[in-house]
Amino acid sequence: MGFLDIVTGKRKMKQPAESRLFAMSTAAVTLDMTLELHTSGKAAIVFQPLATADFSSIVTDMEEVLRGTGEDAGTQVDRTDDSFGYRWMVLSDDEFEDLVVGINVVSQALQDGGYGERILCAVFAFRDAQDKPIYWIYNYKRGTYYPFVPAGGPQNRDSERELRLKAQIGHELPVEAELERWFPLWGIPI
Amino acid sequence: MPRPTSFGKDTGLQLRMTFTMFLLGLVYVVLIVALLGSGVNGAMVALIAGGLAVFQLFGSDKLALRAMGAREVTPAEAPELHAMIDRLCVQADLPKPKVAVADTRMPNAFALGRSPKSATVCATTGIMELLSPAELEGVMAHELTHVANRDVLVMTLASFFATIAAYIVQFGFLFGGGHGHGDDDDNPSMLVLFLVSIGVYVVSFFLMQALSRYREFSADRGAALITGRPSALASALTRISSGMQRIPQQDLRATQELAAFYIFPPGAGKKLGALFATHPPMEKRIAALSRLEMQLQGTA
Repeated sequence: MGFLDIVTGKRKMKQPAESRLFAMSTAAVTLDMTLELHTSGKAAIVFQPLATADFSSIVTDMEEVLRGTGEDAGTQVDRTDDSFGYRWMVLSDDEFEDLVVGINVVSQALQDGGYGERILCAVFAFRDAQDKPIYWIYNYKRGTYYPFVPAGGPQNRDSERELRLKAQIGHELPVEAELERWFPLWGIPI
Repeated sequence: MPRPTSFGKDTGLQLRMTFTMFLLGLVYVVLIVALLGSGVNGAMVALIAGGLAVFQLFGSDKLALRAMGAREVTPAEAPELHAMIDRLCVQADLPKPKVAVADTRMPNAFALGRSPKSATVCATTGIMELLSPAELEGVMAHELTHVANRDVLVMTLASFFATIAAYIVQFGFLFGGGHGHGDDDDNPSMLVLFLVSIGVYVVSFFLMQALSRYREFSADRGAALITGRPSALASALTRISSGMQRIPQQDLRATQELAAFYIFPPGAGKKLGALFATHPPMEKRIAALSRLEMQLQGTA
């Protein structure tokens, strides 16, 4: 935000950064082979559903496209609304690449409709060797990924594990540099 | 496909805000000229006022929080509030501020801190009980917009010269005393400075209040942008304002100092002249929010 924007209190919603979503396609191979983190077969994209006719029609169209392409690829689509009023489009597919493509279909549809700024994040779910959930969250506004590892119990996260994951993945993923932006997402349904 | 619906621009608000700041600057130039012309030790005055401003910006957050009876809370203590702010921060592209809760029944919320990195947002237990999650989200988004707009910094800097003028009015004789030549104690330039300072103080007071009101509108608008739900904030404002009037007056007066950064000013139920108000009247804020909702619905 520039000086003039501060002076005039101008607020504009930040639009999504240039998409680096697909970095996950290759990183997932590394996660699988060297870190023994396997896909749980699920990924989700989270957005604020606006209560307008225009927005609903875009979402309906997008869901149709998704289900249409999903039938060929074998992707299953579910949607839930959480207690914060955000909508989760949950994709299930054993083929990881199809998950990334599916997530991109959703975000692209919202962006083309002019609602890119309503997207909160995308979440890719993994399981480690002990079957503990490990999440990689993609922040659209910043075009960065960060790890999120719930440690069991309410509001506990395994920061050590997260920081280690950041080091292990190295440059294969654009990892969020500012740790204070590694926002947790509690109650991830995947 | 062209974007079908969106929030329009707020050029009018931007212009009014810029014009107000321009007027403030003009008034302050008059003060500086009078200060230089009077032979008063201006550097000394500026130093005192500057020191206070720096203290206000860097040291007052903890004091203000304590004055409000607020306490920083961990995610474990207030999971819902933290999770809500986490999401709003992602949407607003802000770093996470500190989160505090004040244990009072007065339904209110405020933001402190000179920059987004050092900011604190605070909600009272009263507001968390009163509002639905969507309404509370609107209120917290309003506070986060104050943080993003750096309103504390802007208002502190805007009031810097008004503070100087106030000191001159109150303690002017201390600075001017030694400069009178000969037997005549009445230093004419000192009198001019005194009168100018009074004028500057009065005019800048009204300008500052106007500026504060504009920044409230701007924060309401920002909140609507972040949440995409202008009507939720409008409904929160209605609910808070009807809640506010039930609060005993002593409580409110004790908190007057922080009024500019509240979501809703304490004592708003009293008959205050519109010029003296730090916040725009509720009807106007709700009207502005419903215009935003109409833009969003594509019916504007």
